[in-house]
Amino acid sequence: MEMSGEYRIEASRQTVWDALNDPEILKQSIPGCEEIERLSDTELAAKVVAKVGPVKAKFAGQVTLSDLDPPNSYRISGEGKGGAAGFAKGGANVSLKSDGEATILSYEVDATVGGKLAQLGARLIDGTAKKMAGDFFKNFAEVVTESKDLNSTENLNDADTNKVNHDINASKRPKIGVGSWIIGLIVAAAVILAIIVY
Amino acid sequence: MPTVSMTVNGESVSSEVEPRTLLVQYLRENLGLTGTHVGCDTSQCGACVVHVNGKSAKSCTMLAVQAEGSEVSTIEGLADGDTLHPMQEAFRENHGLQCGFCTPGMVMSAIDLVQTNSDPSEHDVREWLEGNLCRCTGYHNIVKSILAGAKAMQG
Amino acid sequence: MTETNIGAPIKRVEDKRFLTGRGRYTDDLNQPNQLYACILRSPHAHANLKKVDVSQAKAAPGVIDIFTGSDMAADEVGSLPCGWQIHSKDGSPMHEPGHPPMAVTKVRHVGDQVAIVIAETKSQARDALDIIEVDYEVLPAAINMDEALSGKALVHDDVPNNMCFDWEIGDKEATENSFSDAHKVVSIELVNNRLIPNAMEPRAAVAQYDPSNGNYTLHTTTQNPHVIRLLMGAFVLQIPEHKLRIISHDVGGGFGSKIFHYAEEAILTWASAKVSQPIKWTAERSESFVTDAHGRDHETKAELALDKDGKFLGLRVSTKANIGAYLSTFGSSVPTYLYGTLLAGVYKTPAIYCEVKTVFTNTVPVDAYRGAGRPECTYLLERLVNKAAKETGIDPVEIRRINMIQPDQFPYQTPVALQYDVGDYPRAFETALKASDYEGFSSRRKSSEDNGKKRGIGISTYIEACGIAPSAVAGALGARAGLYESAQVRVHPTGSVTLYTGTHNHGQGHETTFAQIVSDTLGVSIDQVEVSHGDTGEVQFGMGTYGSRSLAVGGPAVLKACNKIIEKSKKIAAHILEASVDDIDFKDGVYSISGTDRELAFGEVSLAAYVPHNYPIEELEPGLDENAFYDPLNFSFPAGCHICEVEIDPETGEVEITDFTAVDDIGRVINPMIVEGQVQGGLAQGIGQALMEGCVYDNEGQLLTGSYMDYTMPRADNLPNLNVSTESVLGASNPLEVKGVGEVGSIGAPPAVINAILDALSSLGVEDISMPASPSKVWQAIHNAQ
Repeated sequence: MEMSGEYRIEASRQTVWDALNDPEILKQSIPGCEEIERLSDTELAAKVVAKVGPVKAKFAGQVTLSDLDPPNSYRISGEGKGGAAGFAKGGANVSLKSDGEATILSYEVDATVGGKLAQLGARLIDGTAKKMAGDFFKNFAEVVTESKDLNSTENLNDADTNKVNHDINASKRPKIGVGSWIIGLIVAAAVILAIIVY
Repeated sequence: MPTVSMTVNGESVSSEVEPRTLLVQYLRENLGLTGTHVGCDTSQCGACVVHVNGKSAKSCTMLAVQAEGSEVSTIEGLADGDTLHPMQEAFRENHGLQCGFCTPGMVMSAIDLVQTNSDPSEHDVREWLEGNLCRCTGYHNIVKSILAGAKAMQG
Repeated sequence: MTETNIGAPIKRVEDKRFLTGRGRYTDDLNQPNQLYACILRSPHAHANLKKVDVSQAKAAPGVIDIFTGSDMAADEVGSLPCGWQIHSKDGSPMHEPGHPPMAVTKVRHVGDQVAIVIAETKSQARDALDIIEVDYEVLPAAINMDEALSGKALVHDDVPNNMCFDWEIGDKEATENSFSDAHKVVSIELVNNRLIPNAMEPRAAVAQYDPSNGNYTLHTTTQNPHVIRLLMGAFVLQIPEHKLRIISHDVGGGFGSKIFHYAEEAILTWASAKVSQPIKWTAERSESFVTDAHGRDHETKAELALDKDGKFLGLRVSTKANIGAYLSTFGSSVPTYLYGTLLAGVYKTPAIYCEVKTVFTNTVPVDAYRGAGRPECTYLLERLVNKAAKETGIDPVEIRRINMIQPDQFPYQTPVALQYDVGDYPRAFETALKASDYEGFSSRRKSSEDNGKKRGIGISTYIEACGIAPSAVAGALGARAGLYESAQVRVHPTGSVTLYTGTHNHGQGHETTFAQIVSDTLGVSIDQVEVSHGDTGEVQFGMGTYGSRSLAVGGPAVLKACNKIIEKSKKIAAHILEASVDDIDFKDGVYSISGTDRELAFGEVSLAAYVPHNYPIEELEPGLDENAFYDPLNFSFPAGCHICEVEIDPETGEVEITDFTAVDDIGRVINPMIVEGQVQGGLAQGIGQALMEGCVYDNEGQLLTGSYMDYTMPRADNLPNLNVSTESVLGASNPLEVKGVGEVGSIGAPPAVINAILDALSSLGVEDISMPASPSKVWQAIHNAQ
């Protein structure tokens, strides 16, 4: 499957870039994420329990960053193995562009699934991805609300997480003050999520 | 492990089960009622249809613990000794079965149809069977059986 | 023979146990101390197995043991064999790459076996699957046939361009000549869509090893237990027949998919000795989708040469057949001798040539599915005939009449090896035209048009060859097995009878049909006859049930054994009645001396056979128990005509079958109720192929139609009532005068449906549509044509 998205983030490109690394926040935000571990500057390991249609499986995945061009772009790719449920693999090209004070983050995900996941879940995967993305933003908001003390002076409101063409439920997004670095994490997490889930 | 208790074909049963045990597994594996079959793993074939509190249910879509306190009836409980239920008899009379694997689900589903709609049309029967797959008969004789069974159940 | 039962719609004796939930399907059986198995399957279509690490999984709760392909290889377990050897055009034998029950170095399709977990409970076995670590090196996969033939990715390293064989039949030169003489050449390209059989009972097996005597018992969902015993025992596990018992009681449908010797049977049997405890495995439906052999999957180009009067001069066919990742048990026979040999159909085409390239791909193996080769043949022929009618301007009925083999031409030698024994094709054809009110179609079309609908009518004739035989001929064509059948008739002391048949009943009603034959032949009432099948420990031998062979091949064996009983029992009766055996008449279960009132009942004679006090003991052994093997003289050739009428909503593309008429010549009808059921069931599968069913792989070999959410099975509300009748010419190749009936529906129906759709849409300019003709495809065709 292929999925692309674009977010406008009210923070500088460097801030967003820096924000692409916080395993702890990712872990709390990705639905079903049990573990995220940074193995090196370019490698993360994650364990996620995901349910796609009737298939529920624990995915153990490795994610690698490549083609690094800080703070402009990189490729993030990985493979998740779900035991008897099959596998998911894929990658995303992520790029950051300055737009005045803000940053436009775009990503293009290409991913494939195999085994039982493809057999039973292929038709459901788009919907599942969207649902997981929605869940992610909801969880994320909660995590962020609980950790206000982490926030920088830059406040972020609804308009700041300006979704351009990604379908999530905007009306439910709470008004929160968040450090802009976290927005980067949302996207990184969404990408990792996409890779791990797909 | 939780304990589950229910009435199956008029007899009280109670057992310890893993929480994830499906009703159909409980019937087949714990109680040995192997007349209820498993034909798919996506709740679509209807081979596992039983009655729970008088209504047809796919026993693969329910956990055994969800049937706690329920009255469950299966294909084994239909006949009165050697006398078949009118719907079973109608299937036999009209060659409504071949390999027999989908048959218990078909019969249980058909009886619920007639309880809901005592005088179904051919169209009603075909629509009602949407959740029951048969690969042998082409449904022609199943439909004929159910129409005959519906009449017999009234008589 | 008296005929009180034969020809009567006797209610089935097997129904009661099925209707009361007391069938004995394999998954219903349990053995003391039984363990449960789950199988880890490849999620990749093509990959090297670099490492299978079971150490963590072995320590999981309840796990008894885990085995992989390497463990089986270390025990020198053999390859799953193919039962039919085909030779290519150049005389070389087909490629037969190894087919290990579990993958050793490479997985070759999604679903290929990687490891078996044996645990105390099913849940524990399933849980342990998730913690087996497999390191796959993913390889490029060959999925579609053109891609495979390019040889870029090799399914088997030693099979160049993935070509299993390149076969031909017919006279190439004569066919070329017929085309040079042609007034008109009509050509067609079509795909026979890949299908998934989907018997409602998933496959299952329970294997048991008795260390005290070295005996193995395998309960399995098979259509032919003796064949499994032979293939698995002799070729895979090296267990001699007397140490291996295969039992297959009630089987929930087969349609061909349970003929084959499957890997799980060998894995379980082998593993049961390793753990010295019984093991049960039952496929989940999602496993069935990726392991039960699939059917069809042909791509064909065909051309028909006609003279100026519309007479067929020659037929040229070129087919690519997908055989999947491995050669399944009879996979090689389906696109060859069950396909190319039928290309004459019911027509007098004098020259035919057919070539078939059979291709390995990284998909589930393809083998016989109801019809097996004959639906593929009939579909191309009847589509082509309709196209010829259209292009020559001759009516589709008329062009068939002009070319049909006439009743006085039998036996009829076709240009593709077969000799049709007997038939009357015009009779079934004209009867079907009447039964479907073909003449009244135009007024029905008009009323549909008035409602904004498109109406069409489509004809298909067909001939099929079933009950493959005689063994010597099948052997000359490459069969590695005999194709006879056996029966044993055991008359008990009080005159009741047990029939042991080597055929297998998985829905066909043999327990009734065969009892009817025994009952009429021996004059005992039908409730005194029990039919036993499916257990190599009870039944002397058998080749099982497939290819519509049970009645045509198994039936005469029953008759033959009954006749041996009569022959012996007449001698006993003669002795007791103190008469010459030549003077003894046997009728309706009574032995009498001709022209006298002195008689003995069947039960009196059978009792004498077992209590031989007044008995010709010097001449005869005691007992009344006879065995017979029957090897037929020829195939049997059912034929017929199917006519389908459809109404299409051009706004949605939805096709409704308003009427379906089938008139079939199946020889003598033993039980008309069962016959109708067999035809109806076959038609449903044929209509399913035409309108709904289609197996789809993505480019990487992932099965996208892998559940009932995506693989469209015909449901009750998709099908019409079916107008089924027989118009029989008695069979000439066996003493029961029967032909086969199990497959006729799935053979005749698909072209009738598609021809009807094309007839309905021809006024809109639609000239072709592929199966399955789903609403979206029909809608698209309408819009593309406009």
